[in-house]
Amino acid sequence: MKTSTVPAHPTPLTADQADVMLQRHLKKHHIAIILLHWFNAIVWGLELVTGVALIASPIFRFAPGWYLSMVESAFGTRGHLLQFHLALGLTWIAVYLVYGVFGFRTYLSREVLQNEIALDDDDWRWLVIRTKRILGFTREALPSQGVYNAGQKLFALMVYAMVPLIMITGIIMTFRLMGPAVIGWAVVLHFCAVGAVVSGLLIHVYMGAVFPEEKPAFFSMITGTVNELYAYNHHFKWWTSMKARELAWERRHDEEALPAPEPGIPD
Amino acid sequence: MARWGMVIDLRSCVGCHACTVACATEWDVPAGQARTHVHATPVVGTFPALQSSVFVAQCNHCDRPPCVSACPSGATSQGADGIVRIDRAVCIGCGFCVDACPYDARYLNPKDRKVDKCDFCAARLERGQEPACVATCTAHAKHFGDLEDSQGAVARMVYEQGAGRIESTAAAVGPNVYYAGKPSQLELVHATFQPRASRMPMAGTVWGRLLMPLMLTVVGATFAGQAVAFFNQLRTGEQDFED
Amino acid sequence: MKTVNLTRRQFLGTLTAAGAATAVEAAEGDPRRTGWSGTDRVEKIPTICEMCFWRCGVLASVKDGAVVKLEGNPNHPLTRGRLCARGNAGVDLLYDPDRLKYPMLRVGARGEGRFKRIGWDEALDLFATKLKAIKAAHGAESVAFFPHGLSARFFGTLMSAFGTPNSVEPSFAQCRGPREVGYGLTFGQALGSPEPLDLESSKLIVLIGSHLGENVFTSQITAFGTAMANGAKLIAVDPRFSTAAAKADWWLPIRPGTDIALLLAWMHVLIGEGLYDRDYITKWANGFDQLAEHVLAFTPEWASAITDLPAAKIRETARAMGAAKPAVLIHPGRHVTWYGDDTQRARAMAILTALIGSWGRAGGILLSTPVPKGTFDLPAFPDSPKGRADGAGSRYPLASEEMGVTNGLVDATLSGDPYPIKAWIIYGQNVLESIPRPQLTRKAIEGLDFVAVVDVMPVEQINYADLVLPEATYLERYDPPTVVTTAKQPFVALRQPVIEPLHESKPGWWIARQMAARLGLEAWFPWKTPAEHLATIVEPMAINLRELHTRGAVPFPGRPYIEDRTADDGVIQTSSGKIELYSNDLKDLGADPLPRYTPVDQPPAGFLRLIYGRAPMHSFARTQNNERLHALMSENEVWLHTSVAAEHGLRAGERAVLENEDGVRSLPVLVRVTEGIRRDCAYLVHGFGQGGRWMRLASGRGASDTALMTRVKVDPLMGGTGMRVTFVRPVAGGV
Repeated sequence: MKTSTVPAHPTPLTADQADVMLQRHLKKHHIAIILLHWFNAIVWGLELVTGVALIASPIFRFAPGWYLSMVESAFGTRGHLLQFHLALGLTWIAVYLVYGVFGFRTYLSREVLQNEIALDDDDWRWLVIRTKRILGFTREALPSQGVYNAGQKLFALMVYAMVPLIMITGIIMTFRLMGPAVIGWAVVLHFCAVGAVVSGLLIHVYMGAVFPEEKPAFFSMITGTVNELYAYNHHFKWWTSMKARELAWERRHDEEALPAPEPGIPD
Repeated sequence: MARWGMVIDLRSCVGCHACTVACATEWDVPAGQARTHVHATPVVGTFPALQSSVFVAQCNHCDRPPCVSACPSGATSQGADGIVRIDRAVCIGCGFCVDACPYDARYLNPKDRKVDKCDFCAARLERGQEPACVATCTAHAKHFGDLEDSQGAVARMVYEQGAGRIESTAAAVGPNVYYAGKPSQLELVHATFQPRASRMPMAGTVWGRLLMPLMLTVVGATFAGQAVAFFNQLRTGEQDFED
Repeated sequence: MKTVNLTRRQFLGTLTAAGAATAVEAAEGDPRRTGWSGTDRVEKIPTICEMCFWRCGVLASVKDGAVVKLEGNPNHPLTRGRLCARGNAGVDLLYDPDRLKYPMLRVGARGEGRFKRIGWDEALDLFATKLKAIKAAHGAESVAFFPHGLSARFFGTLMSAFGTPNSVEPSFAQCRGPREVGYGLTFGQALGSPEPLDLESSKLIVLIGSHLGENVFTSQITAFGTAMANGAKLIAVDPRFSTAAAKADWWLPIRPGTDIALLLAWMHVLIGEGLYDRDYITKWANGFDQLAEHVLAFTPEWASAITDLPAAKIRETARAMGAAKPAVLIHPGRHVTWYGDDTQRARAMAILTALIGSWGRAGGILLSTPVPKGTFDLPAFPDSPKGRADGAGSRYPLASEEMGVTNGLVDATLSGDPYPIKAWIIYGQNVLESIPRPQLTRKAIEGLDFVAVVDVMPVEQINYADLVLPEATYLERYDPPTVVTTAKQPFVALRQPVIEPLHESKPGWWIARQMAARLGLEAWFPWKTPAEHLATIVEPMAINLRELHTRGAVPFPGRPYIEDRTADDGVIQTSSGKIELYSNDLKDLGADPLPRYTPVDQPPAGFLRLIYGRAPMHSFARTQNNERLHALMSENEVWLHTSVAAEHGLRAGERAVLENEDGVRSLPVLVRVTEGIRRDCAYLVHGFGQGGRWMRLASGRGASDTALMTRVKVDPLMGGTGMRVTFVRPVAGGV
């Protein structure tokens, strides 16, 4: 039967309902975003590998000697290693600038930021419960989440804050701007910002690539879509908005009167 | 392999700056900056019982150079020949090394905003030439050679004739530029040109002592947290996925 | 426009030969000193420096037609690869953006400094036209010539051929003239340049008014440094605590003007205590008895009151000389025109040198060894029946007629006596800086019909010139070879171009030839290229010309020691063939045959004697616009004793204005407060506070000592301008 309204809370589904939803796919990520994501992943991987090898002084380094030698010899000289790190970093910044200039309204509009990044009460509760569940302390149910769950939002927030810092300090260091005092602090801030993102990345990569529950999320970063069941279970608030759009679209194209409202679950 | 050292004979030196300019033109040091510095002590005493001396200094290619550890990017390194080199392709211009040097031997080149200093003319040494300052020294005051060649002039001046190091309680890093001179002259020079303590700018201290350990801890803790979660995941199986 | 005579191919051919030879053969000198600059192979071409006039050997590294580095030439027998700060900074002269680039014609009034650019043809034609007109109206001798430097010889020939005897160089009457005359009278041989001092073998070096160390002659500094490292003792007689004084075992802060008293007292002790070199004097000298009697009265106590030095010190230092003889070097000084009695002081120093037996001995002053030089078969120069106007040989009986008396010519120009002077041709001389009483020089110039300046840098005097011609720097031109006989190892050295002249500058030889052609004086310029000229000069030396080009210098065996020479050898060329302690020549002129102390004027109350000297990173007034050297020292400071500064309310780092007795004021100058100077003196490094506005780094920085020297004391014997007779008082608060 057709649905005419969108439910307010997730309800248990029958096996058949679940099956149907499993087959249906919702578009989550635009191709531009997908490309940017993997571009980012590759760049971050390379920049981390080279960046860690660039911290060489006995006071500051934390990588073992063999690692430094290995990476350095892969590039021939330390100078080449640095050049690579800088060139790749600048490329990364350039790509982001293009995205920023052309996609400002798409990615950075107030509405998008509110939906996708801002944390509401559900998000805060989710964070606490999720952490406990991961560590095995509870089995309490999680509050509904939007297109991105609170963890993802938190990560995004941090990335939005840290990445410009990484870029700016990177530019300062690359072009040796504003004198040694500023460059010295740029080194420190660059390292700390990267470290913060790396912490988040560890969770992000684990969640995306290792944690089985989020497998659809991983594949959505390749296909651009998630199955409806996954969306219903993990990103209910987003599911409801997608559903509402679907219904609205149907309404516009359907001359027949709608039946009495029922929970928005198809036959 | 040689261990390079220099002896500057202050009895001969007249502070003419030939070394400053020869070095500067050899290595494109901008006018107004220098890799080798000519100083003079103040005039000490009252007329006519006076004392003063010239003094020339440069990078000392120390036994235990504090600049090497201070350089975050590893641009500064010390070879087996004792020469402390700056790989300018790797220098990021943070200036930690400038603060680290107790002798203030380094300078920031305003043209490319990287740090520069004397490297004992390493490229010239490779071609069998003396450092430019030594070759040009009008007073024959600069002597250069292998400290480990006991028959060589430099080793003899250091180990047999008592050419000495300029160190202080704040900095005893084993400089390899030695000084010969009249005893009263050396006394005055020592008193005037004491090396200062090696410093690290605030950014470096904060980074090295606080933020880096903190960051590594955070990353480590996150990794540990992930490991626990992964472990749990293995233990509890894929139950969560079923609901 | 006629192009440079040496075709590009010939030039490059020479360069390639020189360069390739240099590249492959490197040096027989210390091989560690030659090699490649930077990491790329470059050509290294030897030549002679001209940042001052010591003429050190230089190797110029040339890459892609640009000079990238200068360093010493290890093959130079005198300087052996060492080069001072100025020599090393020569590239900044070559590429100085302010240097003279093209011929200029004055427009507007003299002194205004407004010019119109013209071509060489027009410039040279104008020069010839003017000179011919002046010759026709007033005679050739009304044209005065102010030369300096190696290329001056070409112009000297030109001027002599033109018919004027009036050639005057400041190096005589403003610099070493008195010592050339004083030592010449005593030993029959002028000291010359570079003076033949065997510093490196000295056991005791005596500096009287020499601030060696701040005054840098590369080879002398090397020898001095070596001597110091070898434990030589040092006596420094100087009213200021100079770099040398700081090294000295004895610093004698003598009252200025009393050096002769000290010298006489030293002689008194040496003779009285039998410390002089008896055998040497017996064998080589005349007039000892008269000398001994003369100095009997000049006790250290007598001298002490005059010189303001303790008698014990005077005695002690004399005894030290006696003990260390004959390897005792009484440095003759170089710039020695101080008080107007300078010839007599030079005589005293020469006599002292003879007494300790150090003339012609190791560690002392060496003899020169003649080197044959080729000459050209030229027509005789026209006679000048009117004679010289500068007083050389007449009013100043002992003045060199080769070098002349510059100030004498300034006087003649002003007075019209003995005859009018109508034109000044200035080559390589900075008349406003090198000749004291610049107010007279300016006045003299203003009255001239024609002034031409040939120079490298736009110093202030160009504002007074009608015609300004840009000469190529020493790195861009051939000069006559320099033949040095006054070194332990005599040699001939070559100044050759390492790159083509920049802008429209031309080498001196070309300018002189062009002028000669237009004046109808080609007969005196039989050579067409500098190579031809060079070949003739060096022909009797029987050297390999290619070797001269590739090594830069060729040595000859020297015979500098008196023991190796005989009387027939012309070792002492006085009329008696002996060292003349007592000078009959002076007696015949009505002057003191033995030096006598005569008091000099003391500064009036509130005034200080202005003394001056050099800094090691500058040469006279030549280098103040050089970027690297300017960065090392951009302006001078006035040295004042602590108590004097306090008296005038001056603190270190503040500025003061110096005002002389005639009310002339200097520009504001930084004050240096020090214990290291006598209370009656103020000291400035020469060459700063330059006027004109064409040199963006030099103009207006610091204070000019020359500008303050409105009075001089002229040495009656040779016309030298004693310049340490200016009294100034410091005025606080700058302007």
